[in-house]
Amino acid sequence: MSDRIHSSTGAATGADGAFAQAVRDALCHLPGLGGAAGTHAVGLASDMAIMSLLALSAYLMLLVGRVSFGQQAFFGLGAYASGVLSAMFQVPLGLALAAGAAFGALCSWLLALPTLRLSGLHYAVATLAFGEMARIALGWWHWQRPGEDGPVGPAGIEGFRDIRWLLENDVSPAQYLGLTLLVLLGVLVLLMRAERLRLGVGLRMVGQDDTLAAAQGIAVDRLRLFAAALAGGLAALGGGLYAHRTTYIEPAVFDPMLGVHAVGYALLGGLGTALGPLLGVMLDLGLLDASRLLPGWRMVIFGGLVALFLRWRPRGLLDETLVHRIATAWRLRRGTAGTPGLAPMPSPPNLSRRKTP
Amino acid sequence: MTGLLQTTIDGLLEGGSYAIVGLGLSLTFGSLRRLNLAYGATAMLAAYLGAWLHIRHQAPVWLVAVSVVVAATAIGWYVERLCFAGARDDTAPSRGAPIAGTDGREVVALASSFAIWMQLEQLAVNLLPRHLNAFPSLAASGDWALGALLIRPDRLLVALLAAALILGLAAWLERSRAGLAWRATADQRTAAHLVGMPVARLQTLAFAVACALSGVAAFAVLAIDGQVTPMFGMWVLLKGLVAAMLGGLGSVRGVLWGGLLLGVVEAHAQSLLGAQGREFATYALLFVVLVAPWRRGDRGAPLGGLRA
Repeated sequence: MSDRIHSSTGAATGADGAFAQAVRDALCHLPGLGGAAGTHAVGLASDMAIMSLLALSAYLMLLVGRVSFGQQAFFGLGAYASGVLSAMFQVPLGLALAAGAAFGALCSWLLALPTLRLSGLHYAVATLAFGEMARIALGWWHWQRPGEDGPVGPAGIEGFRDIRWLLENDVSPAQYLGLTLLVLLGVLVLLMRAERLRLGVGLRMVGQDDTLAAAQGIAVDRLRLFAAALAGGLAALGGGLYAHRTTYIEPAVFDPMLGVHAVGYALLGGLGTALGPLLGVMLDLGLLDASRLLPGWRMVIFGGLVALFLRWRPRGLLDETLVHRIATAWRLRRGTAGTPGLAPMPSPPNLSRRKTP
Repeated sequence: MTGLLQTTIDGLLEGGSYAIVGLGLSLTFGSLRRLNLAYGATAMLAAYLGAWLHIRHQAPVWLVAVSVVVAATAIGWYVERLCFAGARDDTAPSRGAPIAGTDGREVVALASSFAIWMQLEQLAVNLLPRHLNAFPSLAASGDWALGALLIRPDRLLVALLAAALILGLAAWLERSRAGLAWRATADQRTAAHLVGMPVARLQTLAFAVACALSGVAAFAVLAIDGQVTPMFGMWVLLKGLVAAMLGGLGSVRGVLWGGLLLGVVEAHAQSLLGAQGREFATYALLFVVLVAPWRRGDRGAPLGGLRA
């Protein structure tokens, strides 16, 4: 089974061993499921959908005012957890993915407890430290069970091979892409619905000014814990999808660059709507894919562009103002009456610290 | 017993490198209240320029040393213009919430300095595409024997350089008038502005000095190894960050103790658990220091400010 192909086109920079390059290659040319140029588009689309889930997880953390450089840990934990379930215990894919996501959410919640009161910068560094600890710990984890072609299971830094649920159940890469997109769509719909509720408004308030939010009777700590658990679950879901797509995972994939890219996508795309991180992923992966002509310089150009860009649009392309404007224009065009943004909010269950009579 | 002592000494000497690397990071944070993620990449690109001069033009060692420091300063200026210039105009105290401790600009500075990190790293790799690149070597040929203990003289030199730089800088910050001005702009931006200090210029200067120090650190560390790889940027940032965090970001003398502590812990972790254990110990130490219950007092305190 030699389905682990590395695209050589992107790696032709002569920058062999370059850290950034290696990461970019790991990110953009995630090993595909066989085939060559024809399935390239399918592979790229799957990667983008999976990265979008990770970017959405970073986005959720940014919404509550947290920069997390550790979301890759939950991505990795989810990948390992769902891989163990499906490859070692023959659990059906959906169940394995759900269990992986739940496991990621639990881990993220547990990490959020001791880091709840850290300042923003300390939090960012603490999550980075946690992510690296998780990566190294995964490199120590050996647990194998006999499978059809020899032992199956995590084998330390050599990684976890033969997560072959898709091959065994005759799911083609295109079908899997459909499944991934469906999951992403479901997550997006849920997130965008939630943002219209008091829950989403509360999350944003916590992110903008948590003292003020607390003074308004919003349970800041509870919302932060909730956001962390949800973000961990999303990252783990993405990780599970990734593990089954590549059939092979190793701890080195889940290094801080992955998490930092996720944060970058969310910041680039915009914090105004859940579509922002998707835009960031499309710009980065799409642009990278398009700019193969200047392999050695694409990061030079892209890095400079992002930095320049962030000076003028600190909350990303689709920031709150733009989203609001678009929404207003949309409503006016459709002729819906009412003053957008001033609509009364529905009363939330279980969000206020004090119960309103 | 001798083995334990030897490990500790090795760790202390290694810790000198961590301290010298962390110094610039701590200074930047102290004066701007922003974390410069491009710090490691700045040092790396400067080191690559030095290696390029060494390999392609057979430049003498002193020229390489000077050009590394000058290049680090110049690249630092570029990073400051692009990523941190927004912080300068902010003469008003930050309105950000004390619990969160981040305002929008802090996040933006993090993200844009990260983008610049990628950019600088790619530039360095474009300059010298090979994985291993020769760097002028000042490594000592033999070890000094002190009874049963062995001491590497080149490492000792770097550790002493680190201690001298840090203690000297701390004394300068405490005693001199310019040091006072520097601390004033870092601690009370508004007050410094009101009494007529050129806050923006002083902060740019502080940033440039921090980057020049990163050039000194890069040269000192790489001259021991005699080679530079693309991993160097990440190494500088991570080790420097842990050393600075352990000592308290913004504290100058703290970096020295933080670096030494990190060196000793890493050396013992390596002898007990191997290379992976060493890496794990670094992060575990960092994590524990950050979330430790006995530090609950500092965490609510506003971050930033420069301490000698």
